[in-house]
Amino acid sequence: MLRGSQQTILLTAGQPCINSISAVPFVRGYSVLPPTNDEEEKSMLHRMMRVDHAGEYGANRIYAGQMAVLGCTQTRPLIQEMWDQEKKHLSKFNEILGDNRVRPTLLLPLWNIAGFALGAGSALLGKEGAMACTVAVEESISEHYNSQIRTLMEKDPEKYTELLQMIKEFRDDEMEHHDTGLEHDAESVPGYQLMKAIIQTGCKAAIYVSERDVCVCTDHLEHKRAVFAF
Amino acid sequence: MYFFYSLCICNHIGCMRSPLWLDMAALVRALRAGRALRGLGSVAVQGTVSPQCRNARRGFHCATLLRLADDSKSGTSVPPPSFHEVPTAGESSSSSEPSEDGQPNTSYQDQSGEHGEDYETEEQLQVRILTSALEFVPEHGWTVEAIAAGAETLGLSSASTGMFNNGAGDLVLHFVAQCNAQLADTLAEQHNLVQLGQAESKEMAEFLRDAVEMRLRMLIPYIDTWPQAMSILLLPHNIPDSLKHLSTMVDDIWYYAGDRSTDMNWYTRRAALTGIYNTTELVMVQDSSPDFEDTWAFLDNRIKDVVNMANTAKQVQATGEAVVQGLMGAAITLKNLTGMNQRR
Repeated sequence: MLRGSQQTILLTAGQPCINSISAVPFVRGYSVLPPTNDEEEKSMLHRMMRVDHAGEYGANRIYAGQMAVLGCTQTRPLIQEMWDQEKKHLSKFNEILGDNRVRPTLLLPLWNIAGFALGAGSALLGKEGAMACTVAVEESISEHYNSQIRTLMEKDPEKYTELLQMIKEFRDDEMEHHDTGLEHDAESVPGYQLMKAIIQTGCKAAIYVSERDVCVCTDHLEHKRAVFAF
Repeated sequence: MYFFYSLCICNHIGCMRSPLWLDMAALVRALRAGRALRGLGSVAVQGTVSPQCRNARRGFHCATLLRLADDSKSGTSVPPPSFHEVPTAGESSSSSEPSEDGQPNTSYQDQSGEHGEDYETEEQLQVRILTSALEFVPEHGWTVEAIAAGAETLGLSSASTGMFNNGAGDLVLHFVAQCNAQLADTLAEQHNLVQLGQAESKEMAEFLRDAVEMRLRMLIPYIDTWPQAMSILLLPHNIPDSLKHLSTMVDDIWYYAGDRSTDMNWYTRRAALTGIYNTTELVMVQDSSPDFEDTWAFLDNRIKDVVNMANTAKQVQATGEAVVQGLMGAAITLKNLTGMNQRR
């Protein structure tokens, strides 16, 4: 794929806003997704990346919501630190989607609003509420990443080395957030178990829906091009 | 032995509109095969040839057996007959028809085609037929007649149009796919040149304009019959494929234009370009100006509109944010004035 091509595409001012062209401090020397000609494998990888991107986007919005409510309190630096890590994850996924021409999920506006609402809503219950929300969400995300790691390991650990490494790293970060949340009195919020169950069900539903986000007209007929290549 | 010869000839006479010279070719081939088989002296082969030749896939078996015989005995550079890739279920269901005509003929007629070890798949054969059928489109329109004429130039019987379940739709979709592939290749080449620093990169609006113009210019040789093709593409059973081709093309253009967006912009940009492309195509089919100048002017204006809209959207967003901040400030001031903002 065309790596590092973004920086050489010069765009003059006054054009439609293009985000993610700005310099991103990541190593571009390797490609996380292995290049493949197999349609099924490609669509599986694209689906995984689409869901992960949607997940990180949602997590970003959750922290944004929490920050909006608790931004003027003592928990600000804590939330800010976790939010910054999520921003890093999101920009990594943006890069992958751009490099590999993966379509982003159509439900992004929904995750935008839902995430912000969840973050703000839980933060209204105070710092403990925000931490409980963090714990629940991070646990769901870690579980999701673990199942992806399992899938990839079952298929071919050698081929997906870089991808596995990246997902493992992100999963470890999410587990760290989870533990941080627990440390900061997440469990002391009234109705903790109920809240956690509801949020985790919501996350599972979101992942389920995002995985099945199929846009019929844009799933490409790549193999037709191959016929002309003979 | 003679039963075998007559059987092979009967296969051909039984086919529709099979020219006499093809029968002669089959006869000569059958004679060669007969000599080879006699030389092999294998009764079992002779015994099994005729019944096998009778079943539905007789063309395939006939051709294979003849090839085996030819290879082992003559050792000359007989071009191997085209045959289907063996296992794929999807192809085998449609292969029984074409084996009727395609197989016994192509091995002899396909002198200019695949020699040696390369065997042509059915899909490749279809592509070849459709490509050669394109020359006859100005004359016959986007119809099965054009495909038949194309098949005949390749030396195949015109009944090989039976291979194409969708008839004219196959021809149009093939043309569209071919144009899109050509466009993608050209854009990729240009992109490489820019990356290597050998060419200037274009401004986005200019790039889009050039890409759409390049793609629409590929329609010029067929512009008189293009309305027919457009209506074929709009038939319900062709819509999924034509939409896929359209969206692939639009995605390609945006990718090479430098779009790496990962939010709703991805969708809005592609939708906008799809609209531009479709409307420009419609303008083009009824444009009678020299070299379609009016069409390119229309295209220019539409792209300018889209760019303006994007800029306006940005401005609206900025204004909106400013307004919201102003309102928040006013609200806080009000709270201060009424004493509601005090922390106790």
